[in-house]
Amino acid sequence: MKLLSAISAALLLGALPFFTSSNYVIGVAISACIFTAAAAALNLVYGYTGLLSFAQLGFWGIGGYATALTVMTFAGSFWLGLVWAALIDTAIALAIGYPAVRTNRHAFVIVTLAFALLVTLVARDWVSLTRGPLGIPGLPAPNLFGFEFKTTPLFYWIAYGYALLALGLLYALCTSRIGRTLVAIKQNEPLVRAQGISPVPYKLAAFAVGAAITGVGGGIYAFHLKIIDPLFLDFYYMQTFLIIVITGGAGSYWGVIAAGLIMSTLPEVLRFSADFRMIVYGVVLLLAVLAMPGGVGGWLHERRLARARAGLT
Amino acid sequence: MEVDAAYLAQLTANGIILGLLYALIAVGLALIFGVLEIINFAHGELLMIGAYAMTFMLPAVGLLYWPSLAVAMAVVALCGLLMYELFLSRLRPGEFERSILVTLALSIIILHVVQYAFTASPRIVDTQYGFDGWTIGAIRVTWTRIVGSGVALVAFVFLYVVLNHTRFGRAMRAVAQNREAALMVGVEPKVVARNAVALAAALCGMAGAALAPIQLVSPIMGQALIFKAFALIIIGGLGNVPGVIAAAVGLGLMESWVGGFFEIVWQETAVFVVMIAVLLLRPDGLFKQGTMRVG
Amino acid sequence: MTAVLQIDQLCKSFVGVQALAGVSFAIEEGSITGLIGPNGSGKSTTIDCVSGFQTIDSGRVLLSGKDITGRPPQAVARAGLMRTFQTVRLYERFSLRDNLTIAAQQFDAAGWVDELLRTARYRDAAAAAETRASELLGLVGLSRYVDADAGVLSYGQKKLLALAAALMPRPALVVLDEPVAGVNPTRIREVEDILRGLNSAGQTFLVIEHNVEFITNLCRRVIVLDQGRKLAEGTPAEVHRDARVLEAYLGLTPETSATEMQGAT
Repeated sequence: MKLLSAISAALLLGALPFFTSSNYVIGVAISACIFTAAAAALNLVYGYTGLLSFAQLGFWGIGGYATALTVMTFAGSFWLGLVWAALIDTAIALAIGYPAVRTNRHAFVIVTLAFALLVTLVARDWVSLTRGPLGIPGLPAPNLFGFEFKTTPLFYWIAYGYALLALGLLYALCTSRIGRTLVAIKQNEPLVRAQGISPVPYKLAAFAVGAAITGVGGGIYAFHLKIIDPLFLDFYYMQTFLIIVITGGAGSYWGVIAAGLIMSTLPEVLRFSADFRMIVYGVVLLLAVLAMPGGVGGWLHERRLARARAGLT
Repeated sequence: MEVDAAYLAQLTANGIILGLLYALIAVGLALIFGVLEIINFAHGELLMIGAYAMTFMLPAVGLLYWPSLAVAMAVVALCGLLMYELFLSRLRPGEFERSILVTLALSIIILHVVQYAFTASPRIVDTQYGFDGWTIGAIRVTWTRIVGSGVALVAFVFLYVVLNHTRFGRAMRAVAQNREAALMVGVEPKVVARNAVALAAALCGMAGAALAPIQLVSPIMGQALIFKAFALIIIGGLGNVPGVIAAAVGLGLMESWVGGFFEIVWQETAVFVVMIAVLLLRPDGLFKQGTMRVG
Repeated sequence: MTAVLQIDQLCKSFVGVQALAGVSFAIEEGSITGLIGPNGSGKSTTIDCVSGFQTIDSGRVLLSGKDITGRPPQAVARAGLMRTFQTVRLYERFSLRDNLTIAAQQFDAAGWVDELLRTARYRDAAAAAETRASELLGLVGLSRYVDADAGVLSYGQKKLLALAAALMPRPALVVLDEPVAGVNPTRIREVEDILRGLNSAGQTFLVIEHNVEFITNLCRRVIVLDQGRKLAEGTPAEVHRDARVLEAYLGLTPETSATEMQGAT
């Protein structure tokens, strides 16, 4: 049932450029696709596996810069850039993830935070590679065998296709036994080990998949903005991913997708000033964490549980 | 490389002063982590509130330093209390990730409220000491910096006394070491936690107020400093007060020396790389012996 | 009769405390052995060391002849030792069915690729696990809760579920850490019957308990630890009469022991 409504919604969204000719609306939809996929990736790492990873921001930035540099400095295609984004992010995720997942939870959070900040510093300071604070402007439209994705509607289908692939991969993963094992690790890691399962490969896999998906998303977003600079690593993006995951429900696949679509479009609908929007974000996050720690997805699950419990006694 | 002794001495003096201010910020974070086991992401904003309070108080009292400092500290301590009562007290121990999200949310809210109300333009504020300073030989230090570090030193001595020789201090150390055991001997964790947050906030407010005349005050000033404070509590050891102070002074010195001789550019990166390395190799910090050692 | 578990001179100290000072014993295949001792004698530490949850200072642990000394918990489990915990460990948000099938997954032939693509190999393994799970749930009397979240169970029921989970992969040895502590007396009889039944079908058990009556009824052999060493070993009756044991537990001399034993437990 859920899957059916999801497929119909997906088809509708795919046809969006046929319903509107407003570049603004389509632009918002592009952001929605990319942020939702990136948030879903964070959900895999945090919601399912229980690892609060600020590193996603770093992978986002590395993905954006890798794609941009592939095209602008190394004369590769946009698609090759995305491949590089995924590969580099996966490699870094494995390298830094291996020691990180084996430390305690406090250290893990701070290491990932430090990593994200380190990436920001490198983006700003390694001027010879990244062109520093000036950034890399003028990113061209993606080109596929001569066909240029020049207009916003055409670009939309790249973002949409990415979101479908990413969310599809995550669906396969989350509903599989691998996904179940991740949730088990989050709930009771000592028990998982006592049952013969080694948590480290699972944590690493989730971390790497999350990194790759976020990196590709970053690459596509950079080319949507047509410029990349250190501001691409602004903490605002991390906050956005976090808010989507928390309000949708950490560990709830569909909750996070719904929250992603809503949270991406809501600010546009409400048209607040930048500061006010951030205040609203902060308040929403605060309320969600305090009052509904499981997000909307969790709240629905609790209701189902209560009904089941009532049926048992 | 020709090293001018006087120049080096000047850098060292600046470094120590900077380090003491870093220590004020980091010690507050360490206290909160030791007693509540949470990392207060809103700590930088508490500092920023202290700085803003200072910028408003000083003109109001004819640029008198001490009353303004006292008021700024009180304001921030109050904010800390509010933060605890309204939000932090709802968190149960062991909810580490949730606490990060709560304090992160608070940090976003506070920062943007201040920015909304007072704009992002940096402010400068003057004190009764103006730009007068003290000169020994070739070294010159302004009064505002001397007073700032003097205040910090007094605060650390005070903190040492509180932690080691008062009931409240011992209660804090007890809760930090073993919450259940502390409960059993009649210590009330919530009261201890609330007071620890207020104390940490007051220290932070002091740091912010001391910084206000020294550097530009802006809504984002807390953000830049807070990540250094995180680095310090990691390197010094989560909850290890003297370790953190040592790390802080070390950082101040390193920044001052590196800044004086090399490009500042890679210095921040170096700090973070060291932090990550320490975390991965020794999650309990360089100075070992975790929970709330006080000397 | 081969030794399923062999422990030689196990030593472990924590800061300033020598928890284990050379523990040695062996568990025969098909036996049901009790491990008892006063508080602080080292029972839990022994089990934690054997199952990999604590590092070992010196000594050797052999499981079915394989050296598992100092191996991490997941390796010990894969070698054939499953354990339960004093504070019941379950996946509170998973159904009972999931709680059980996950305990078997490391032991089947399906790998990550199989799991992701839902190959035939995975489906067969999952079906086999489901069958065994139903069987065990029936054994412990929890079949009607198969789809309920483990969190809704009572404390005693949770202990039974943990036992069932430990049995899923048909391990060489099941170590039970205080299986009836805090469980109400009527339930304790039930647990005794279940364990006896499983043991007569060939499952080897090592049971740590404070409940002397439970151990006496259930175990043919009892090992007594005191202050990090094996103090005595024998049938429950032999151990009851052992002067050293009485002294360690109750501070009794042989003269007073007879009358005091009436009130014990």
